[in-house]
Amino acid sequence: MGEEARVPIIVLEKVCKFFGQFQALKDIDLVVNKGERVVVCGPSGSGKSTMIRCINRLEEHNNGRIVVNGHELTGNLRDVNAVRREVGMVFQSFNLFPHLRVVDNLMLAQKLVRNRGKAEARERAMHLLERVKIPEQAGKWPSQLSGGQQQRVAIARALCMDPAIMLFDEPTSALDPEMISEVLDVMIDLAQEGMTMVVVTHEMGFARSVADAVVFMDAGEIVESNPPAEFFQNPRNERTRLFLSQILSH
Amino acid sequence: MSVIYGWLDEYFWGATVVLKVFGVSLVMAVLFGLIGSAAKLSGNRIAGILAGGYTVVFRGTPELLVILIIYFGSAITLTTVSQAFDPDIQFIDIPPFWAGALAIALVVGAYMTETFRGAFLGVDYGQIEAARALGISNFKTFIYVRMPQMWRLALPNFGNHMLSLMKDTALISVIGLEEIVFVAEIATTVTVKPFTMYAVVAVIYLAITTVLTLAVAGMEKYANRHLETSR
Amino acid sequence: MTFDVFLILNSIPTMIEGLGITLKLLFLSTVIGLALAVVTLLMRLSGHWLLTWPAMFYIYIFRGTPILVQIFIIYHGLPQFEFIREGVLWPLLREPFGCCVVALSLNAGAYVSEILRGGVLGVDRGLHEAGKALGLSTPHRFIYITTPIAVRLAIPAYSNDFISMLKATALASTVTLMDMTGVARTIVAKTFAPYEIFIAAAIVYLCFTWTFQRGFGLLERYMSRYVKKDA
Ligand SMILES: Nc1ncnc2c1ncn2[C@@H]1O[C@H](COP(=O)(O)OP(=O)(O)O)[C@@H](O)[C@H]1O
Ligand SMILES: [Mg+2]
Repeated sequence: MGEEARVPIIVLEKVCKFFGQFQALKDIDLVVNKGERVVVCGPSGSGKSTMIRCINRLEEHNNGRIVVNGHELTGNLRDVNAVRREVGMVFQSFNLFPHLRVVDNLMLAQKLVRNRGKAEARERAMHLLERVKIPEQAGKWPSQLSGGQQQRVAIARALCMDPAIMLFDEPTSALDPEMISEVLDVMIDLAQEGMTMVVVTHEMGFARSVADAVVFMDAGEIVESNPPAEFFQNPRNERTRLFLSQILSH
Repeated sequence: MSVIYGWLDEYFWGATVVLKVFGVSLVMAVLFGLIGSAAKLSGNRIAGILAGGYTVVFRGTPELLVILIIYFGSAITLTTVSQAFDPDIQFIDIPPFWAGALAIALVVGAYMTETFRGAFLGVDYGQIEAARALGISNFKTFIYVRMPQMWRLALPNFGNHMLSLMKDTALISVIGLEEIVFVAEIATTVTVKPFTMYAVVAVIYLAITTVLTLAVAGMEKYANRHLETSR
Repeated sequence: MTFDVFLILNSIPTMIEGLGITLKLLFLSTVIGLALAVVTLLMRLSGHWLLTWPAMFYIYIFRGTPILVQIFIIYHGLPQFEFIREGVLWPLLREPFGCCVVALSLNAGAYVSEILRGGVLGVDRGLHEAGKALGLSTPHRFIYITTPIAVRLAIPAYSNDFISMLKATALASTVTLMDMTGVARTIVAKTFAPYEIFIAAAIVYLCFTWTFQRGFGLLERYMSRYVKKDA
C-alpha cells in the first residue's frame, strides 16, 4: 500500500476505561489505517476485549478520544447505531440468534437497520453464505451447525451490513482445533480483499501471514506494537518475550 | 383508624393461630414431600404410581376444594361411625385447625415432592462416586455429601412453597378456623368498616411473608457462600 | 356409610353449569392479567425510579398477601368508601363477578410480570451485544431478540401460574358466585354427600389442569424447536 493511501480510519488517543475502581485501559494510543490488519494479543485480562469493544461502543471509555470512520465517539454521541452499522463485530461465542434460521440471522439487521427489502436482503445473505462456503446451511437453525460453521455464519452476518471495519474478539478460541482453519481461511480471504480488520487472537500463524501490525497488551497498556517480522524476531520488551515464549512453546 | 384498637387482641390471637397452623402444616408438608420424592425415586413401580397420582391430584385440585373435602368428608365419616355406637350423637368433626392444616399440607407436600426429587437428582453423580472411591459408606455419603447440596438446590423452590403455604392458611377461615380473616369478618359485622378490617389482615400477612422472604434469602446466601466469586 | 358412585356421575352435569363462570373468570383474568404484567414489566425495566418503584410496590403487595384477602378487600372492603359507591367503577365492583375478575387480574399481573422478567433476564447477554454490534436500536432488539427468547423461557413458569389461576377461581365461591366450586357447595348443602360431590368437582378441575398442561407442553415444544435436543 502506497504512502499516500494511509488514511487513518480508527484513532485512539490516550483512552482510559475504568470498571469501578479498576482501570482496564491505561492511556491507549492506537491508529489503524484504511485497509490495515492489526492483530492484538496479550495475556487473559489484559484489556484486549475492552479495547475493541470501545471501538464500537459496546463499552464507553472514560477518558481520551476515539474516532471511528469519521465519527467522534463522545459521551453525548447522538447516534451510536450509525457507528455500529459501519463496524462489524465477531464474538468468541458466535452469538447467533438461536430462534432465527441461518438465513434469517443474516437478514434481520439488513431489514431493520439498512431498510433493505426482503428479496434484496435474502440475495445479499445468500451471496455471503456462499463466500463463507456454507450456502447449503441457509435453512438450518444455528444449533444444528458445528462451531466452525456457526462462526462463519457470524462473520457473514456482520459482512451483510457492508461494514468499513471488522472487529474480531478471539474468533477461534471457542472452537475445536479441527475447525479453526476453516474460520481463519475466511478471515484471510477477507484480509486479501482489503478489509480493515482488528483481530484479537493468539493464532500467531495468522498474525504472521496477514497482519500489518501486531499489538501486545498487558495490564491495560499497549506494551509493544510492530510489524510481525519485527515483533516475532526481535521483541523489545521483556513482557512480550515472556508471553511469546509461553504461547509459541505449544 | 381508632376502630382497630378495640380489635387488636383478637387480631393478635388470630395471628398466633395463623403461625401455629403454618408451623404444623409445614412439618407435615415436608414429611409428605420427603415420602413422595422417596417413593418416586425408589424405583418401585407401585410406589412410583402412588406418588405420581398424589402429585397430579393435589397439584391440580383447588386448595379450597381440598379443605372442604377433608373437613366435611371426615366430619360425615366420623359422625356416621360414632352414631353406630351412640345414636344420640348429632355431629362430630375433626377440629378445623387440624383438617385445614392437613389439607394445605397435602397440597404443598405435592409441590415439595417435585422439588425434593429435582434436588436429589441435581447432585452430581460424580461426587457420589468420588465419595465411594474414598471409601466413605453409603450412609455417610448421604449425610455429608448429598444432604448439604440437596438442601441448597431445593431452597429457592422450597422458599416459594413456604410462602404459598403461609398464604393458603387464609383459606381455613372458610371452615370456621378462628384466625385473622375470621376475626376481620366478625369485626366487620360489628364496626361496619370492612375495608379497614381486611386491610389489617393484609398488613399482617404482608409482614409475615416479608419476614419469611428475608429469612429464605438469608438461608440461600448462607447455602451458596462457597460459590461466591472472589473478584 | 356408603360411597355413591352414581351420585358422582349424576352431579357432574350440574357441575358443568358452574364451569361457564369458572372459565369466564379464568379467561378474563388471564388476558387482563397478562396486559397488566407487560405494563408492569416495562415499568420495572425502564430503569426510572418513578416507574420502577410503583411497579415493585404493586408486585410486593399482591404477591405478599393471600388472594382470598384480596378478593374480600375488593368485594367487602371497597364499598366502605363513598367515592367508590359513587364512582364510575361501581357497576363493576358491585357485582361479585366483577370483583373477582378485578382481584384475580391484579393478582395474575403481579405474578406474571415476575415470570416474564425472569424470561427477559434469562436471555443471553451476548445476544444483546450481537444485536447492538449490528446497529439494532433498543426497541428493535427488544421486539426481535429479547421477546421471542424470553417468551420461550417463561412458558414453563407461566404454565404453572395459569394452573394456579384456574385453582384460584374456586375462591369466587366465597363471595357467593356460582362457579364450579360454588355449585358443588350448594349441592353438598342439600345432599350431605361431600365426598361424592366435591370429588366430582375435583375430577372436572383435574381434567382441565391436565388439558392446559398438555397444551402448554405442546406450545413449549413448538417454541423450543430451535433448541438442540440432546443438550
Ligand atoms: N464489565 C466488567 N466489569 C468489571 N470488570 C471488567 C468488566 N469487563 C472486563 N473487566 C475487567 O477488565 C479487565 C480486562 O478485561 P478484558 O478486556 O475482557 O480482557 P481480555 O479480553 O484481554 O482477556 C479484566 O481484569 C476484567 O476482569
Ligand atoms: Mg477477551
